[in-house]
Amino acid sequence: MIGRLMNLAGLLTRRKPAVGATPADVVHAENKWKLLRFRPRAAGLAHATPILLVPSLINRWYVLDLMPGKSFVEFLVSRGHDVYVIDHGTPGDEDRYLGFDDIVDGYLGRALRVAAKTSTGDPRAKVHVLGYCMGGTMAAIHAAAHPERFASLVAVAAPIRFDSGGDDGLLAAWSRSPTVELDAVVAGVGNMPWELMQSTFLLLRPTMQLSKAVHLMDRAGKAWDDEFLDGFLALETWGNDNVSFPGAAWRRYIRELYREDRLFRGTFALNGRPAQLSSIVAPTLAVTFEHDAIVPKAMASVLVEQVGATDKEHVHLPGGHVGAMVSRSASRGLWPKIAEFWEQRPGGVRRERETEVVRRAVPSAAARESGSRARKKR
Amino acid sequence: MLGWDEWKKSFDVWENATARHLEQWLKSPLLLGPAGVMMTAAMKAKAKVDDVKSKVASGLGLPTRRDQERTLHLLNQMQSRVMDLEEKLEDLEADKSRGDRPWT
Repeated sequence: MIGRLMNLAGLLTRRKPAVGATPADVVHAENKWKLLRFRPRAAGLAHATPILLVPSLINRWYVLDLMPGKSFVEFLVSRGHDVYVIDHGTPGDEDRYLGFDDIVDGYLGRALRVAAKTSTGDPRAKVHVLGYCMGGTMAAIHAAAHPERFASLVAVAAPIRFDSGGDDGLLAAWSRSPTVELDAVVAGVGNMPWELMQSTFLLLRPTMQLSKAVHLMDRAGKAWDDEFLDGFLALETWGNDNVSFPGAAWRRYIRELYREDRLFRGTFALNGRPAQLSSIVAPTLAVTFEHDAIVPKAMASVLVEQVGATDKEHVHLPGGHVGAMVSRSASRGLWPKIAEFWEQRPGGVRRERETEVVRRAVPSAAARESGSRARKKR
Repeated sequence: MLGWDEWKKSFDVWENATARHLEQWLKSPLLLGPAGVMMTAAMKAKAKVDDVKSKVASGLGLPTRRDQERTLHLLNQMQSRVMDLEEKLEDLEADKSRGDRPWT
């Protein structure tokens, strides 16, 4: 027992592992969000179509690049993909007025065009898009409104049907509670505070923190190795580094998706343009997890039933909402499955000359600014 | 350590049962209804306090917090619109150089 306690005490002084460590450049910056392009592997790019990763709006993007050896991004880069990720940033008080259309149509659309242009030179080129959690919902909505931009759509644990008629989990029950007046909440707090959302997530399993402590105590007497500790601390760092939800966007997300289930019913619109899932014709992959308390299978798997694509697949894997995406087993099962999905599709053809794009300079946000200044002078 | 392992097994059983029970309770309309009413009331009270503060600031001829937030938001929107226009201009220039469309 003393050994266990000594090990646990050591956690207090242990250095936190570096998260989001895969080298990347900022290729676009706007308001608080940035588009990051990961530096291709030394051997150069091997695939023609770039990949855009869309994380949830309320969590940090680096869950997809947690730490060396447990990074989906690192895995994709090592296979020769040109990978981009949206860093939503931290909303300021003024972003209480930022709407769902601004983010999902404006920002996501720009991210697609910048990624396409940076990678291929043509902003209208198609891009593979992977959305994780709420990022998957955002990607599916954008794909439904602008299907021509997508080479493929992968939605990992992404809620699509918010009212399945059955048990949609605690989060859905709380979001649909009619006594919560959404306008009053936004008028009171502006942006939905991350502290409130984090408390909500903790309440999804109120015994979780205690269970985690006991599991850690158990582990402290058995396999107390660096790999486990770094993984644990990295995940804790990410789990406690949340982002507030821009107020106007939150109100619409809860009202039109959680309460009115408009995406599934085909009545959702993005900037006035209908966003019907049947419009999605690009190859589609929906991934769900067995023990996902945040997005149960019924909420996410319907994507493949709703899309208009004929090339579509649903994969159901063991694991929880986060663990199944960042664990060691994900690197052996889920990640190769997703990479193969892209590599086997038409957009996944190999480049003829592997180093072609690596040699081209990456336009940075600063370069965009100087380009804009030069035009103004003309 | 046998004692620990046995205790851990009992804990896991207790934890599972408790989590299931709490989940049912946390989903109950008997809890959600009043909790929502309290939250809404608290938010309305906060909005009212903010409104009074704004009126005081306005009365003194000072910009309110909302004024500043709206201005910053509009600036951000303008930045996005400028970027939209830049993109359109680049597209037109690219089309012109390819001779795709007649340039008027």
